[in-house]
Amino acid sequence: MFDEFSLNAVWESGAILISVVGYVVVFISLLLLFTIFSNMQRVLTFKQRKKLKEQGHKAADAEDLNISGEVSAAVSMAIHLHFAEIHDFENTVLTIKKVQRTYSPWSSKLYGLRQLPRK
Amino acid sequence: MEGLQHFLEFTGFANVTIWHIIMIAVGLFFIYLAIVKEYEPLLLVPIGFGVILGNIPFVENVGLMLGIYEEGSVLNYLYYGVVKGIYPPLIFLGIGAMTDFSTLLSNPKLMLLGAAAQVGIFLTFITAIALGFPTAKAAAIGIIGGADGPTAIFLSSKLAPDLIGPIAIAAYSYMALVPVIQPPIIKLLTSPAERKIKMKPPRAVSKIEKIAFPIVGLLLTTFIAPGALPLLGMLFFGNLLKESGVTRRLAETASRPLIDIVTILHGLTVGASTQANVFLTSDSILIFVLGAVSFMIATAGGVIFAKVMNLFLKGDDKLNPMIGAAGVSAVPDSARVVQHLGVKEDSSNYLLMHAMAPNVSGVIGSAIAAGILMGFLLKVF
Repeated sequence: MFDEFSLNAVWESGAILISVVGYVVVFISLLLLFTIFSNMQRVLTFKQRKKLKEQGHKAADAEDLNISGEVSAAVSMAIHLHFAEIHDFENTVLTIKKVQRTYSPWSSKLYGLRQLPRK
Repeated sequence: MEGLQHFLEFTGFANVTIWHIIMIAVGLFFIYLAIVKEYEPLLLVPIGFGVILGNIPFVENVGLMLGIYEEGSVLNYLYYGVVKGIYPPLIFLGIGAMTDFSTLLSNPKLMLLGAAAQVGIFLTFITAIALGFPTAKAAAIGIIGGADGPTAIFLSSKLAPDLIGPIAIAAYSYMALVPVIQPPIIKLLTSPAERKIKMKPPRAVSKIEKIAFPIVGLLLTTFIAPGALPLLGMLFFGNLLKESGVTRRLAETASRPLIDIVTILHGLTVGASTQANVFLTSDSILIFVLGAVSFMIATAGGVIFAKVMNLFLKGDDKLNPMIGAAGVSAVPDSARVVQHLGVKEDSSNYLLMHAMAPNVSGVIGSAIAAGILMGFLLKVF
């Protein structure tokens, strides 16, 4: 079956035509998807740009109005920390109340510590 | 006494041949790759075990109904899903429900890399014809270069049902061997400076874009290549379930229990279809060689096209050409290979998210290529 490499078979089967058309069509399909989705962002931000222009913001002419994934991750983290009330700075309100009790040797620090010999 | 003799004649020891032993060794090798090397374990464990299962020697065609090719056997019923191309679209449904297309949408030009890498399919198709394979079978062999197991099985079930076993095993073997096959080709075609290129981080993608993608993608691709409808239809449907945000339960079922069940049945039966007497032929060996060539061409095609794109791109829009290799699909292994190579060159260069874009676009590209080949060849066939 595989005695020789036959270019005639390739030519006669129309494989070249199928391959060229096939490859071009795959490219065109993804090129169309690329065209649609690279312009979709512009369509979606059209109103936003118009509003920014009316307000006189310079950002209206920026090529990309979107923020990067890294920035949005940082913003999301900050919002999460805010709502979860996890904060970096203590609000300095003391929550320990001093309670007065009568003296008892059972809780005396003096008896609780090891007595080391003095030199 | 006669009964004992009868029993002994039916045992595996009485029927074993050297070919059974070879195929069982292949199955064990797959299991070794999966467990020890951790190459695609979810695929290689079921396939490897299936290869062993399909090559346990027994007396065929005496009414025992044991073998995968014997009508009425349990394995034969399960294999029906492979032969009729039922499992691949269900796997695509799960893949769609698991895939996040946002990296692709944030940088849509990377879609073209997924198209470029499909060159392997068509060049191998031509080579297979030159080597004497009929046109339809050559197309089924060429699709191995798409590095997409379900697509390869789907197309071969339509164009070359008798070659499903070798084509499936070749496709899944090369998918598992991505970390071995791709790095040398990538290194050969790129300079150290190119491998260090840092790409700008992907932008945040809006929900509208994410929901529009499966709908627009389905309409556009299947109008052009209706042959890809079962695959792309399910892929985009799964993705819509995920992105719509209102069908979380369906998306979770598609992306976990459903795809797991189908993967088990698919892997096991594809493995079991490699029964020695059917599988070990000169055609199978040639399919393996052609599959490897196809995969290498596809990898090189993606990398070279990324370099060509760089000629027209400026500044931080430039691509790291290594991500072109991920255009062969083999999700997500080829993207992982690119990430690994990128970090090796520069420990602060993370390419995984960028490589996922051509990776998922390669899935779409290979399914479109399969649809086109079906459109051309089902008439001839």
